[in-house]
Parts: sequence; C-alpha cells; structure tokens
Amino acid sequence: MSRRLWAAAAVVVAAVALSASAASAAGETVGSCIFDETTTVKKLVDVDFKEVERIKNDIEAGEAKGASDREKEEAKKAKEEKDELVEKYETDLEGCVEAPNPIRPETTEIIWGGLAFLVLLALMTWKLFPRVKDLMEQRTQRIQDAIDDADRQRAEAAEVKANYEAELADAKAEAARIVDEAREQAGAVRADLQARAEADIADMRERAAADVEASKRQAIADLQSEVSDIALGAAEAVLGRSLEDPEVQRQLVDDYIASVGAGQD
Amino acid sequence: MTDRSVSYADAVAAVARAEGNLDAVSDELFRVARALEGSDELRMTLSDRQVPAARRQQIVEDLLGGQALETTTAVVSMIVAAGRSSDLIGIAREAVEINARDRGRSVAEVRSAVALTGDQAERLSAALSAATGHQVDIKVVVDPSIMGGVVATIGDEVIDGSVRHRLSQLRDTF
Repeated sequence: MSRRLWAAAAVVVAAVALSASAASAAGETVGSCIFDETTTVKKLVDVDFKEVERIKNDIEAGEAKGASDREKEEAKKAKEEKDELVEKYETDLEGCVEAPNPIRPETTEIIWGGLAFLVLLALMTWKLFPRVKDLMEQRTQRIQDAIDDADRQRAEAAEVKANYEAELADAKAEAARIVDEAREQAGAVRADLQARAEADIADMRERAAADVEASKRQAIADLQSEVSDIALGAAEAVLGRSLEDPEVQRQLVDDYIASVGAGQD
Repeated sequence: MTDRSVSYADAVAAVARAEGNLDAVSDELFRVARALEGSDELRMTLSDRQVPAARRQQIVEDLLGGQALETTTAVVSMIVAAGRSSDLIGIAREAVEINARDRGRSVAEVRSAVALTGDQAERLSAALSAATGHQVDIKVVVDPSIMGGVVATIGDEVIDGSVRHRLSQLRDTF
C-alpha cells in the first residue's frame, strides 16, 4: 500500500517537474505577460508619453515662438516612435491574451501545488495512512475474526450435528434392539404358553386315557369275573371235578410238569 | 420292551451288582412288578403325574420299607420319582433276564392258579430245562385267571397247560 502511494507520488512529482520545465521554456503565463506589458505601458505612459507630450507642447510652443525645422523634425520623429511603441505594445498585449498552453499551469502553481501535495502526502503518510492502515487492519482482523468465529460455529454446528446424528443412530439401534427383544420375549412367552397348553392337553389326555383304561380294566375285570364263573362252571363240567379243590390244582400242575418233561404242551 | 426299559434295567443291574445282591434285587423287582400288575389302583397312583413325586416315593417306602432290600427300595423309588412307573414291569422283567444271563441261565415266567410247592417248582424248572436244552430259572406268578394248570413263558416261547387254554381249545373245536 505504502509503496504504491509513494510510487504514485513520485509519478505525480515527475510529471509536475516536467510540466514546469516545459512552461518555463515556453515563456510567461497570461497573467504575468499582462502584468509586464501593463507595467511597460504604464512606464511608457509615465515617461515616454510625458516626453512626447512635452515635445508636442514644445512644438506647439515652438511654433508659437517659431521653432526651427530641426526641432519640428525631432518632435515629429519622437511622435512616430511613440506611435510605433504604442502599436508594438498593443500587439504584445494582445499576444498576452493568448496563453501559450491552456493546460499547463504556471510554474509557481506547479511548485506550490507540488509542495502542498508533498506536504499533504507527508502528513497523510505520517498520520493518516497509519490510522487508515490500522483501521483497515482492525477491520480486516474483525472480518477475519468473524470468519474464524463463523468457521468455529460452523465446526461446532457440524460437531453438534454429528453428535445428534450419532445419538439418533444410537437411539434407532436401541429402539430396534428393544423391539427385537420384545419380539423375542413375545415369541418366548407365546412358545411357553403353547408348550404349557400342549403339556396340559397331554396331561388331560393322559388322565383321560388312564381313566378310560381304568374303566376298561374294571369292566374287563367285572366281565372276567362273570366269564370266569361261567368258564369255571364249564371247566368243572369238562373236567368233571371242582377246580376249587387244592388236590385237583396240584394234580393239574403235576400233569403239566409231566407233560413238559415228556416234551408235550 | 422299549430301549428305555432296557437301559433302566442295565442301570439297576449295575447297581445291584455293585451291591452284590443282583439275584435278590431282581427277584424283589419281579415281585413288585407282579404286585403292580395285580393292583390297578397302585399302578395308577404311582403313574399319576398329578401326585407329587415325593408322595409317590413315600408310597413306595411304605410298601417296601422293611420288606425288601434297601437297594430294591431305592431303585424302585428312583424309577417312580422319574415318572417311569409304567415301565417298571418291563424293567423288572429285563433285570431278571440280566440276572439269569449273568449266571448262564434262562428265565421262565410261570403262571399258576395256585402257588407251587417247592418240589413242584424244582421239578418244573428241571422239566423246562430239559425241554429247552438249557438251565431255566422259574418265576412263579399266581394267576387265578388261568383257572388251573400252568402257563410257562421262556422268551418268546409259551408252553400253555392251563385250564383256560384247554377251554379255549374246546371252544375253538366247537
């Protein structure tokens, strides 16, 4: 920043110096020219015109007194010179009206302007630029701080978001696990209830079957008792003797042993 | 007979061998089995799962305590507590077979309408041994339903000399 300012100042000073040199080389400005010409005219009026007027008065007085021809000739010559000077100065004054360069300022203006510029530049460099630089640096620092703060807040927001997403994922996983556990527990309870129901049914069937079996056995026993009585009577009739007689039973056993021993059924 | 009954019988026989009283234990088991066959109420009670196992074991203790070997009482109590009362008859039969095999003999289940005398039992054992060609131990079961005579079962072979069988043959004849 500072280098560029100093470079710009150097360029301006160089341009002013070059312009000043050019103006000096070309001649005076309009103001100075008019001033000089006016001074000349005034001098002319104050001196020459008075001399001319004196000569004129001398001529007129001479004529009245009878001036010589030489004096008349000198007076005429002085008048002609005066006219030429007047004409010349009028021409020069008109020339002063036209500035040599409408763009190029006067050398003094350039010098004073340049000095003022340099003074102002020095003051700005000494006082203003450091303050402006400090303000810009402070503003830059504030902006950088704001950017850093924004980045930090964005990072914190990203972290919070990541934490939130992680917690959300954990919550979802936990919810899924709870649902699975509940489902498994429900399945286990259902299976347990079903198993208990099946066991109860099996017990009921077993008891029913046992009851039926007992009833059947009882019926068979009753029937066997009746049949036994009938069969006993029939057997007694066949065997011709009473099966209640122990001797008969002993004999039957002995007969069986004998038949087995003999190889008979 | 189920494999489970055979396994239980093997275990019972192993315990009895360890105690050195396989012969007596198998005989007492056979008697317990006969008692179960002869009592529907006892059999149903010991098989009823609604009756607590401790109660069923107590019934066994009451029935066998002091009348059978401790080994017999223990194995019967164990079988009843395990809920295998319905298999007890088969287990007893297999235990008897194991005992007989240990001694190189066979077992004949003899059913008679009356109890056999010792002489009759000896002669019947000898006759069955002669008929089968190998030594036979008899286990007598008093079964009035056969009316008279004897029914001997040796393995799958049945020698039926009962009055009931003769009546059946007579009925078939007619």
